[in-house]
Amino acid sequence: MASPGGQGSGALSTRGGVARRMKWALELSLGNTRGRGDRQSNQGDVMYPIGYSDKPVPDTSIQETDKNLVEKRCWDVALGPLKQIPMNLFIMYMSGNTISIFPIMMVCMMAWRPIQALMSMSATFKLLENSNQQWLQGLVYSVGNLLGSALAIYKCQSMGLLPTHSSDWLAFIEPPQRVEIMGGGMVL
Amino acid sequence: MGHCISMKPSAKMAKLVPLLAVFFYLVCVSEAVFEDQVGKFDWRRQYVGKVLFASFDSPSQSSKKLFVATDKNIFASLNSRTGDLFWRHVDKMGPEGAVDTLLVNAQDALMVIGDGRLLRSWDTNVGGLNWEVVLDTGSFQAACFVGIQDTVKHVAVLKKTAISLHYLSNGHQKWVENLPDSDTVKYQAVYSGGGEEVFVLGMVPHSHLTITVYSLEDGEIIRQRSVEAPWLSSVESSCVVVGRGVLMCVDNYTQALYTLAIQAEDSPQFRQVLLQSLDLEVSQDFQPVLVSTQPHPARSPLPEFFLQLGPDHHILLQLSEDGSTIAPLRDFQPAFLVSFATTGEKTVAAVMAPKNTTACAVNLFSADSGRRLLDTTVIFPLDANGGKPQKLYVHAFLKKDDSVGYRVLVQTEDHALTFIQQPGRVVWTREEALADVVTMEMVDLPLTGTQAELEGEFGKKADGLLPMVMKRLSSQVILLQAWMAHLWKLFYEARKPRSQIKNEVTIETLSRDEFNLQKMMVMVTASGKLFGIDSKSGTILWKHYLENVQPNAAFKLIVQRTTAHFPHPPQCTLLIKDKDTGLATLHVFNPIFGRKSQISLPALPRPILQSLLLPVIDQDYAKCLLLVDDQYKVTAFPSTKNVMQQLQEMASSIFFYLVDSEQGTLSGFRLRKDLSSELIWEVVLPTEVQKIVAVKGKRPSEHVHSQGRVMGDRSVLYKYLNPNLLAVVTESTDTHPERAFVGMFLVDGVTGRIIHEAVQRKARGPIHFVHSENWVVYEYWNTKSRRNEFSVLELFEGTELYNSTVFSSLDRPHLPQVLQQSYIFPSPITTMEATLTEKGITSRHLLVGLPSGAILSLPKMFLDPRRPEVVNEHSREENLIPYAPEMPIRTEWFINYNQTISRLKGIYTAPSGLESTCLVVAYGLDIYQTRVYPSKQFDVLKDDYDYVLISSVLFALFFATMISKRLAEVKLLNRAWR
Repeated sequence: MASPGGQGSGALSTRGGVARRMKWALELSLGNTRGRGDRQSNQGDVMYPIGYSDKPVPDTSIQETDKNLVEKRCWDVALGPLKQIPMNLFIMYMSGNTISIFPIMMVCMMAWRPIQALMSMSATFKLLENSNQQWLQGLVYSVGNLLGSALAIYKCQSMGLLPTHSSDWLAFIEPPQRVEIMGGGMVL
Repeated sequence: MGHCISMKPSAKMAKLVPLLAVFFYLVCVSEAVFEDQVGKFDWRRQYVGKVLFASFDSPSQSSKKLFVATDKNIFASLNSRTGDLFWRHVDKMGPEGAVDTLLVNAQDALMVIGDGRLLRSWDTNVGGLNWEVVLDTGSFQAACFVGIQDTVKHVAVLKKTAISLHYLSNGHQKWVENLPDSDTVKYQAVYSGGGEEVFVLGMVPHSHLTITVYSLEDGEIIRQRSVEAPWLSSVESSCVVVGRGVLMCVDNYTQALYTLAIQAEDSPQFRQVLLQSLDLEVSQDFQPVLVSTQPHPARSPLPEFFLQLGPDHHILLQLSEDGSTIAPLRDFQPAFLVSFATTGEKTVAAVMAPKNTTACAVNLFSADSGRRLLDTTVIFPLDANGGKPQKLYVHAFLKKDDSVGYRVLVQTEDHALTFIQQPGRVVWTREEALADVVTMEMVDLPLTGTQAELEGEFGKKADGLLPMVMKRLSSQVILLQAWMAHLWKLFYEARKPRSQIKNEVTIETLSRDEFNLQKMMVMVTASGKLFGIDSKSGTILWKHYLENVQPNAAFKLIVQRTTAHFPHPPQCTLLIKDKDTGLATLHVFNPIFGRKSQISLPALPRPILQSLLLPVIDQDYAKCLLLVDDQYKVTAFPSTKNVMQQLQEMASSIFFYLVDSEQGTLSGFRLRKDLSSELIWEVVLPTEVQKIVAVKGKRPSEHVHSQGRVMGDRSVLYKYLNPNLLAVVTESTDTHPERAFVGMFLVDGVTGRIIHEAVQRKARGPIHFVHSENWVVYEYWNTKSRRNEFSVLELFEGTELYNSTVFSSLDRPHLPQVLQQSYIFPSPITTMEATLTEKGITSRHLLVGLPSGAILSLPKMFLDPRRPEVVNEHSREENLIPYAPEMPIRTEWFINYNQTISRLKGIYTAPSGLESTCLVVAYGLDIYQTRVYPSKQFDVLKDDYDYVLISSVLFALFFATMISKRLAEVKLLNRAWR
């Protein structure tokens, strides 16, 4: 592992005489690469051999035995959207039905998040892969999202943003074609 | 434009009363002009009308004033250097304000007005009224100044039964005397030659002439004489006073001149001088005319006089000192016009004679000898598109070397005034025909040469790939050239001071601007002169005088082909109907250049009742015009094979209606295949009860963007948009305030079905109304409450459309819902029109012409029958203003600020290329052109938009981003090296 360094760095120039003399230096100790503070605290310490670390290396092997924990985690993921609904309801209530920038932003967020979640369904399914109840969880997850988007649509509806009335299509009505040609006036 | 002035109070009130906030918001919608915008989009031209009397200020070279009194009852002073108005007094319309005579003496201009109703004296310096007196009743005959010892102190006014003498200084009446035997004797002239006597000449036709002499001092009759004159039919038209009180008369029948010394004490006799004895002969069917001159009212007239023997034959004659012999001084043939002018002690005669086909020459002759004065020729150019010269007014003055100089004012048949200086420079021309515009249209200008070139390229058939490429390249080169030339011009003009840049508009430089804001105004005037005026600057670009147009003729102007069909030129047709014979003539012309088109016109042997323009187009893209004659047969113009075929196919769907207000009938006809027609319906409104005053359909060019109105609950109330709907207005024949009424009938023009009928009781006309979209707005006088009221009718189909794709009047089972509301308007109005825009998206305003000369732009929002009396949530949602009976007039709504338009007669609106902008032309005595923005300028940047600031900020931001990006990169690199 190479540590980047340079002549211009003021931190380097305050180091020991070795660094001052050398054009560049290679530090291979793991501890020294952690950060500046580490490095500074280690100043004047004995140099460790290459590859030596004074901290214990964490155990990264997966414990496949704790199935319950996985299940719990998966349910957490699946129930996430549903849990957000009361919060959304509260925000909806607070923002009111007037059309202004903040309610619109909130509605957009509310509508966009479930859609985004539904679009990245496959990624979520990958998360739930290890669960036994993968399909049920997936279903709950999507139902939660659908509910969220339904809520957003309801909000749009109550704000009058949905083109559900005939007046919303008024601009697209073409003027009717006239069948008869008529003209005339007062006798000149 | 369109800025709210009262922002602060409105903001405060908005918190208190939300309704007021809505109201103030509406106020802000209205437009007003900033001071620096005055004259930027608008212009006004002021006119006076056909000149009846004209007079020059003083016989000096430096005088600049010229006084005119016109048939429009106007007394005005013109600047003879520029032709502009110094001041103008507009009197009442009609005979009440008619100018009977104008007499100018030094600083006083005397006018008798309204057939002897008033005598007025004006100060000619500033145009102020010196005094005005009401004269005794009786129709006016003549007036003259009365002076003694070279000072004029009195004016004598002769009426049918009395003569009165007034002081010039204050108008007080000195004396008034009844004329003897006024029931048999027609008194026609009054004369004073500087003595203590006032002569009144009367006559009994074909019997005798009476001379009554009054004493100037007390009005006593000094003597009365009666002279046998069996040949005399009118003193006014055939007699003048010449020399020392010699009455000179001419008679066509006996071919003789008659002289009579009216001052003679004893009983005088007419002395006959046969024209033959002077070697003179009157042209056939010509009534000879005498012209004399009295240079100073306190002195007797000159012994020289003109005798006109034919339309172009004048002769200068001289009466000898003793009044016994008449000698011809000079014969002028050909000579159209003659006129005397006096400066100092010299009196000259100006004679206009034809020079060649394009010009006339005016020459001065010494009055006492008939000798031609040297170097006095003035050339008057005859305009091929103008009328013949009709009157000559000469302003003579003494030059420094004591020779006589002069300027002439020539009035032509087309009411134009031309002022000419020696040696023939036209100083100015006033087109007074424009004071009486009858109808007008606005026509789009053609594309520029380069644009047309491109259009032409696409119009032609392809002839191979390579030639097409070459053609494209060449047209691109032309475009580039034009652009370079434009840039060069911009650069060149930018260096000149602003005042020197002349934006001269000529026909050659005319082209459509990018927003189609500049158009050609085609104006038809009552005198039969047509004008093409540039709508941007008000410059007259072409004029064309139609001769032989009756003064009461009816005109209808039709645009048959617009400018959109390059290379076919645009085409307008003017239908002129002679009221007496009923026969109609067509004048077909190019509205851009004013030239008459060489198109074969249909023969119209029968009187024409009406015309209608069909959307049927022939192969040359001209719309077909149908002319309906008195046998209800139809003549098509143009009548090519193509058109006739289309007509036969469509005949069963072509309908027309005729309204005869004398018979009180509305009748509808359907066209047959053989171009005759069948009567299919008739509505009779009995003329004993009511009279049809006006009928209006919708404008064919009108576009309605929205087919319905959105309600508060977001449902739709669909508009009843019947293109065949007619609004017929009637007035009751009974004018008693309790029984008078006004009727508004909405009739379908195809089926004759009366869709709605609204009768306004206790109301009287004149009615002004606008019919557009699904509404009719009309204004009437409420005789009970004695006020003007507006009423609005709006028609709706309901919440369901019956047939959304096709409209047929023959298939409409349901009657529309009609809503009506009325409002009080605090002013009478003279005319009304609605704004019109390209697509009909912009909200509508009503342009209301007020008698004060202002044009009020009234939002249609205020005239909405759905305005609620009780405000609820839905009406608030719809932005409806709560009902208030009084309609406000706000001065910010005047679109013509202080540029008032006298005698406003009509308003014409035309859409421009910008949806927000509507072009408005108001005409009457004056012509005013402007633009209105009913919904503000939502589609264009304001002209005070700060381009410099915005672009500099943009550039600064751009560079700041560039620099900071570079800095950030450097910094990132440095950090990476760390």
